[in-house]
Amino acid sequence: MNLQKLVPVVLTGVLLTTGCQSSTKRYNLRGQVLEKSISTSEITVKHEDIPGFMPAMTMPYKVKDPAVVQELQPGDAIAAEVVTANNGKDYWLEDVRITDESGRKSAKPAAPAHRLEVGERVPDLPLINQDGKTFRFSDFKGKALLVTFVYTRCPMPTFCPRLSSQFAKIQNDLAKSPEDFAKTHLVTISFDPKYDTAPVLRKYGLAYLDNDPAGFSHWDFASTNSGDLRKIADAFGLEYFEEDNQISHTMDIVLISPEGKIMKYWATEWTTAELEDALRQQAKTVSTPQKPLTPRKAG
Amino acid sequence: MIRIMQSACFVSAVFAFALILSGCSPKESELRGQELFDLHCAVCHMGPTPDLKKRPPRLEKLFALKQLPSGAPATDTQVRKTIIEGLRTMPAFDKRLSDQGLDDLVAYLHTLK
Ligand code: HEC
Repeated sequence: MNLQKLVPVVLTGVLLTTGCQSSTKRYNLRGQVLEKSISTSEITVKHEDIPGFMPAMTMPYKVKDPAVVQELQPGDAIAAEVVTANNGKDYWLEDVRITDESGRKSAKPAAPAHRLEVGERVPDLPLINQDGKTFRFSDFKGKALLVTFVYTRCPMPTFCPRLSSQFAKIQNDLAKSPEDFAKTHLVTISFDPKYDTAPVLRKYGLAYLDNDPAGFSHWDFASTNSGDLRKIADAFGLEYFEEDNQISHTMDIVLISPEGKIMKYWATEWTTAELEDALRQQAKTVSTPQKPLTPRKAG
Repeated sequence: MIRIMQSACFVSAVFAFALILSGCSPKESELRGQELFDLHCAVCHMGPTPDLKKRPPRLEKLFALKQLPSGAPATDTQVRKTIIEGLRTMPAFDKRLSDQGLDDLVAYLHTLK
């Protein structure tokens, strides 16, 4: 099927649907396809600046019409419309046009994904937290862990600031039920170990902890050396690279069981409530809390 | 008739030139500032930002009051500092904007009514 022929069809579809989705916004995208996934109808695009929506970066987008994904090949230069809905929470591509196919052959094959399967054990590499203290995932044996990745200078409100805000909400909610609080832990790992040193992470963390350092006992903001970061990111199926002090990255939230096994990934869609429920469910699999919060008085 | 056209042309050319002369450099700075603002700041400060812990304040009339929303003095220096260092959950733009870029951004923020 020829993509060019699809355009009028897509356009008509757009015209028909715009009337009902008054809250959608449209932006023009130009870029190059790096990867595609037919099963999820997604392409990873290295795109130019999209004023009002996003600076130049590489990131995955859902494509409305899966037939288009079939047609596209890594290396293709494309023009498309980014459509956002739900206040920018949801976004996808429509009206995708190939502007240049000559890059097809030279495109590198996508890096093989080494993402760990659900049920596999997490790598136990050393991490350094906001106080400069070294820790490992195994230190939280007996607790359900929710792990995500950000960098402190990340300017995209639907990326890192959203993730950290959601974790802050989960932290506050869990604090209301001491039993769940004692059996859970949050970890935020930085993609930017060069800039995000312990003091920078501490300042960042405090902003999300209402300035109360006590919160760090339940939520670590961590960094590591760039080699170990790559290993952890690979294990969790994350992609990232740095360019001009801006880091392009995919998103991932990983739920780890009290035994240190991967239980679930979220990479494209989730809600705070969903994350919180899953974390509490995992916590419930711990029969007795490791240590009682307060020593019991006799009698 | 032709002569009238010619002189009209001349007048408008002079006029355009005068415009360029009078407002050239600050206007250019504001325009570049607007581009940077649309690229880096508008997503948070001009649009809806669901799920964020703190809603970024609107930045219209930023310099009209004595104080910024945080209570800090509404000066160019203070605003530059906010952009470079960030403020609580606002991310730092450290090493991501040139000095000229910061000047342009501040010039543009002054025009927001
Ligand atoms: C990820 C979202 C985000 C981005 C991007 C962002 N800001 Fe902010 N900004 C915030 C938030 C949140 C606050 C409120 C911080 C607070 O008071 O806790 C803020 C506050 C401010 C303030 C008020 C400071 C004060 O003292 O009250 C200014 C000025 C400002 N931002 C300018 C900018 C400029 C200029 C840019 C682009 C270079 C920008 N912001 C980009 C989220 C953002």
